[in-house]
Amino acid sequence: MAHRYILAVDYEKCTGCHLCELACSIKHHGVVNPYLSRITIITKPEIQASAPVYCLQCNDALCARACPANAIYFDEKTGAWLIDYNKCIGCRECVYACPFGAISLTVKAEPIKCDLCGGDPECVKVCPHDAILYGPEYEVVRKLKKGKAVGIVYEVLEKGVEVPAGNRVKDAEEAVKTLYRIWEERKKLNI
Amino acid sequence: MYGWGGRVIYIDLSREKVVVQPLSETEAKMYLGGRGLNSYRLFKMVKPGIDPLSPDNVLCIANGVLAGTVLSMTSRTEISSLSPLTGILGDGNAGGEFSAILKHAGYDQIVITGRASKPKYIWIEDDTVEIRDASDLWGLKVGELVDTLRDIHGDDISVAGIGPAGEHLVRFATTMIDKYHSGARGTGAVWGSKNLKAIAVRGTKGVEIADPETFYKLAKEDEEWFKKNEFVQKIYKVIGTHYGLLAWYPGWRYYEKYLGPEDLPEGIRPPDFAKYEVGRTQCYSCPIACKDVYKLPRWNEYGVASEFESIFALGANNAVTDTEAVLKMEHMADEYGMDVITLGDTLALAKFLYEKGIITDTDTGGIPLRWGDAETQIKLIEMIAYREGFGNKLAEGYRNFAKIIGPEALKYSYDVKGLSRGWYHVDFLNGIFTLAHATSTRGADHLRGRSWAYWENDINMDPELVKKLLEGGLPDYRKDPVGALIVSERACTLTDSIGRCKGSINTWPQAIPLVWKYPLFKGLAKLLTAATGYEFTEEKLVEIADRIYLIEMAFNVRQGIKKKHYAVPFPPEIINTPRIQAEIKRHWEMVDEYLKRRGCDVETAVPKRETLRKLGIEWVADEIENKEFPEWDGPPLWSLDKYPHGR
Repeated sequence: MAHRYILAVDYEKCTGCHLCELACSIKHHGVVNPYLSRITIITKPEIQASAPVYCLQCNDALCARACPANAIYFDEKTGAWLIDYNKCIGCRECVYACPFGAISLTVKAEPIKCDLCGGDPECVKVCPHDAILYGPEYEVVRKLKKGKAVGIVYEVLEKGVEVPAGNRVKDAEEAVKTLYRIWEERKKLNI
Repeated sequence: MYGWGGRVIYIDLSREKVVVQPLSETEAKMYLGGRGLNSYRLFKMVKPGIDPLSPDNVLCIANGVLAGTVLSMTSRTEISSLSPLTGILGDGNAGGEFSAILKHAGYDQIVITGRASKPKYIWIEDDTVEIRDASDLWGLKVGELVDTLRDIHGDDISVAGIGPAGEHLVRFATTMIDKYHSGARGTGAVWGSKNLKAIAVRGTKGVEIADPETFYKLAKEDEEWFKKNEFVQKIYKVIGTHYGLLAWYPGWRYYEKYLGPEDLPEGIRPPDFAKYEVGRTQCYSCPIACKDVYKLPRWNEYGVASEFESIFALGANNAVTDTEAVLKMEHMADEYGMDVITLGDTLALAKFLYEKGIITDTDTGGIPLRWGDAETQIKLIEMIAYREGFGNKLAEGYRNFAKIIGPEALKYSYDVKGLSRGWYHVDFLNGIFTLAHATSTRGADHLRGRSWAYWENDINMDPELVKKLLEGGLPDYRKDPVGALIVSERACTLTDSIGRCKGSINTWPQAIPLVWKYPLFKGLAKLLTAATGYEFTEEKLVEIADRIYLIEMAFNVRQGIKKKHYAVPFPPEIINTPRIQAEIKRHWEMVDEYLKRRGCDVETAVPKRETLRKLGIEWVADEIENKEFPEWDGPPLWSLDKYPHGR
């Protein structure tokens, strides 16, 4: 059996720039509006600590269970729960049922949720920090494990992500070295 | 209207009246938004010769035509008014989320006039605009202010506001956005003088795009460039503007010398700051995250965005090399709402004058001013914010402070039109650097005629692109500094007017999207056409940029700026040496050439009627032609006891 594809967010990498929200809304609605996005970044703009809210495409989806019109169905091809708007009666039960707050409403009170862009999620492509992962389950989960394993201690929405100072000093020294190297290369170019 | 929010909010605080009007299509097409729209509005609304701290002054806040769209880094808010620091056009360009969220609420500009009788703040939520009581907010530091407003209105809002420095009319107080993003030139004092503490906004309407598919395709192409660029990924993401410490020659001990990468003392090198860093953050829709989040164990505080300018002005220029203290001072400037460059330069000037004996303990109230003395400096910053003791004088800001001390001190004020970025030899970068300071429409400043000036050490400049541009007939600053400067001034004007960041990397390829697709503004024209549905071309964009720049020059003419104010500063000790005299001669030749190419009168530096006619703004000529304006000598200063004091 082929591996199921999942979408996940590496919280430590997300800096809260909101580009995924903007891309999602323009892709699905043709307008730029974070309130029409299927992924929502809850953040304090001044610190690097954000909690992306997105559809986890549950195995046993409460939204589908709650839907009185049976409008939410599973798409085997992409692994996403989709809304059949021909059946949807706009009762918002799915919004209340979702334990993660992943279903939003448009101004017309239509529920909207992540459809994984038919298997090619736009947010994954736009994320500048590669914080949004999409791929076979085992691969994504392994990447997430790696993220946790570097020993990052963080309190989301309180202090931000704290990386041990030693690493950062090393990174900064590395950046300075790169700077000198590019300088040298640039000199040789003689523009 | 596609692209634009399509509405302008006019608020008269004296009468507590709010009027929302549609943005006129003509204005939008002629000035785009952001800086363009602000400068135009100020020229229309500000009468020449008024006191910047009086209710007559106008505060304009605008976001730019591409703000809040999916094009990355479109998160800059432009805050403009008649500057209480310089007495000419004063505008600050700040990051944060305000710009995008204001656009999502459906607005392009907020115009504030008058003065409220009691402290007020403004609450904007889509179609609702309310003036609300801010008695409980008055006196709060910026961090507390933002947190309080988030408690009231929710965490998906953005806040622009002022700290104690703005309330105390410190002449270099800034407009602070979302705690840590500052718009300078004394705009914070204008808020204070209007009894306006903050504007909080929530927007759920979003931005309509004329051709979303094309626009998104272009925006993605643009973002791809950052993802591939080695400099962005390996340096800028890691140390942000701190790399400038090695590349931009910070001044040392009041511009006694400039520090090259090898002279940088222990304590203010980029890795030193990494010791205190706990994370990185950014403005809305930015893929880079150039701002650091730092922790100060000594004070048990967190701060954000210790940029190159704060380290250079508060640290190097005052000879302070205590890393944590420099960060603390930067954080204090954010909390009180003050501009770090003018703050640092004013402190450095005071120390220099003290060392020279031009000011003494009698002036300072017994406080000794010593180089490298971080503890006293921290105390002084607090005294400035609340205008206490000697801080009251310093709070007048750089040139005004020197003016109060006397002519001996004024000789050492290295400013152009009241704003300082130090003094430089004219031969540095073939004269383009000093010329850019002289021709800037808000006083000596590194962001008006940016980046050609940094060509040689601008390591992010794509060599392939440079070759292409030069072959395409773009002026090379080594052969034609004046032509090169005019092009970069156009680039900066357009960037400010579309609402994009030009500060986050020291180069303009990122500021003007898709510039690497020669010719110069073709990429931007394509983006604007896709976003707005109106036909934009490269030629039209050049015309828009020139229109905005000339309207700003005309504004300053009305404030009394004459040709002599295009002079560059030098220390009095060397000004009469043959070398410097030769440099000055060369500078004036360049100024003449510049004025000629800008279509101004070479003798008076006033924009010519025919130039203005060609740009479609002949009415501006009626305002400035054949009129006498009293010669500029800084803003009108108040007697020092008239300001609010203490906390």
